[in-house]
Amino acid sequence: MSLYDSVMAGLALVGNLEAFLSLAIGIVIGVVGGAIPGISATMAVALALPFTFPMAPINGILLLLGVYKGGIFGGSIPAILIKTPGTPASSATILDGHPMAERGEAGRALGMALWASCTADFVSNLALIFFAGFLASFALSFGPPEFFALILFSLTIIAGVSGESLLRGALSALLGLLLATIGLDLVYGTNRFTFGDPNLMGGLNFIAVLIGLFAIPEVINMVWHPTGHVGKVQKLGSKWVTFAEYKRCFRSIIRGSFIGVFLGSIPGIGAAPAAFLSYSEARRKSPNKANFGKGEIEGVAASEAGNNGVAGATLIPLLALGVPGDVITAIIIGAFMVHGLQPGPMMFVLNVDIIYGLFIGLILSSGILFIVGGLAIRGFRPVADIPKRILMPMVLVLCIYGVFAVNNNIFDVGVMFAMGWVGFVMGRYHIPAAPFLIAFILGPLLEDNFRQSMLMSGGSPDILLRGPITWFFWTLTVISIVAITRGTLRADRAGG
Amino acid sequence: MQLRLGIGAILAAIFLVTYATPNWVSTPSNVRNIVLSPLFWPYILGGLTGLIGLGLALSGWRGDPGEPVNDPIPDPGAGAARLVGFAALMAVTFWAMPHLGMVWTSMLAFLALAFLVKTRHPAAAVICAVAVPLILYAFFAHVASVAIPQGELVRLP
Repeated sequence: MSLYDSVMAGLALVGNLEAFLSLAIGIVIGVVGGAIPGISATMAVALALPFTFPMAPINGILLLLGVYKGGIFGGSIPAILIKTPGTPASSATILDGHPMAERGEAGRALGMALWASCTADFVSNLALIFFAGFLASFALSFGPPEFFALILFSLTIIAGVSGESLLRGALSALLGLLLATIGLDLVYGTNRFTFGDPNLMGGLNFIAVLIGLFAIPEVINMVWHPTGHVGKVQKLGSKWVTFAEYKRCFRSIIRGSFIGVFLGSIPGIGAAPAAFLSYSEARRKSPNKANFGKGEIEGVAASEAGNNGVAGATLIPLLALGVPGDVITAIIIGAFMVHGLQPGPMMFVLNVDIIYGLFIGLILSSGILFIVGGLAIRGFRPVADIPKRILMPMVLVLCIYGVFAVNNNIFDVGVMFAMGWVGFVMGRYHIPAAPFLIAFILGPLLEDNFRQSMLMSGGSPDILLRGPITWFFWTLTVISIVAITRGTLRADRAGG
Repeated sequence: MQLRLGIGAILAAIFLVTYATPNWVSTPSNVRNIVLSPLFWPYILGGLTGLIGLGLALSGWRGDPGEPVNDPIPDPGAGAARLVGFAALMAVTFWAMPHLGMVWTSMLAFLALAFLVKTRHPAAAVICAVAVPLILYAFFAHVASVAIPQGELVRLP
């Protein structure tokens, strides 16, 4: 299929009102979800997932991508107005956004956050379109040993950088891999940890695990400390961002977008480090560096460009390699699976219409985000006033319905409850949940590729180092482990 | 915290390697190569869990300066009681769903949770407790064609 045919096939899928509305509704849900402290972009995507089951695959996935993109921007609204990031990615936005809000310039800060977010989102989408296809065509030559090395590298880096400690991240990933062994064996079909229960033979339901791990712990945290968060909402003020200010910050926005694209395309790094790196680079290079941290609009632009630059780029490893780069893309991979699609290099061959449909939808999403975000800035107050002690019971009921709807199975609701407690305990012990979930998704793939490699080689481990691609990923894995361990030891020494 | 976590991981690994994997993973008798056996992966993961646990225990024992601390809450006793209450609520919800139906059970769970955390908006809680499960029922049963459990008492259209 030529490029023209592929684009036309994609356009045929998304060139209708239903697809456009799915994307727009997703962005609205995301902005509102991201704007409510306690409902992060991750939870918004997880809660929206069951509602996509009756939709056409492309519309369902577009809706979730809209929630993702809207959620990342939405997180900046409470960060600026009530000094509470709606998502961890918006933490850097507080540094200059909230001082501006205290000066009565919240509207100006939010306006710049929106402009920077949309610009970075657009750059990120272009990066996805240019690089995903190239990477996928390269990955078509991967066999089981190459995929095994790639997944191992991804898990290593995700476990290493997701939390505060490499050991706790690794423990989290191991727990996820262990949970993924439940069910029938991939090669022989024998039982593993099923206790003879037919509900366990297919393994634990992925959506029950993810909603249990990311939504239910928030409810349990609220039960543990019901008055944990009360914030004062600042007024928007009368000053708004001007085009001249946007032009002045443009270099920082573009630099931040590229930082976001680069870090987002590496599995595991995520939006928060991109936002902080973009912020610190902008401060280093800005002629107004003395104003950073005191309400400098360029600081807001840089941090928002950094975190939104990640949004499209995290889809590069997801679409091209089938490896989710962060928790949200891990949830989105679930949507692909529910609709019978398997992201990865073969998707660029078998479902090229969906790939190009997604690209077109993503390009549109930057424009829709601009409109929805502008409205959300003005309408934030009622959203901020939703009482958390009404909101969380609502989340609980949504989770029950959503998880049941996957397989029409009450057992899955029990799994979700159990995983909620696992997530809560992990949170109390500061064990990051992201490596757990990503390892749970990649676990069967990792084991399957390992055992296929062993079958190919008759049990010889030499096959795992059979060519330059495997060597490349093994080297990256070793470098990551060494770098993360050195960083941890250095931080410990500095702390001690 | 780190030390307790490490010891917990070591104990879990010992249990996994010595009891859980040999007893709860079945393998065909004709598997010649251990790396192809269904037992291989759980044993590897068990061993790695033990190693990570050892690392955590050692760093906790040495007094890791970066060890995280949880924010204190004003009433930990009441908080623990609420957690027990919520665990009981989950158990009752799970049990009641096939008997009462998902809609009625969700309404009761919503109300119970809202009052467990002492909502300051009881009227809004009651309205939402009735409306949210009904709206979700309408969507999932009539739009998504999901067979929402109706229970044995009152059935919805």
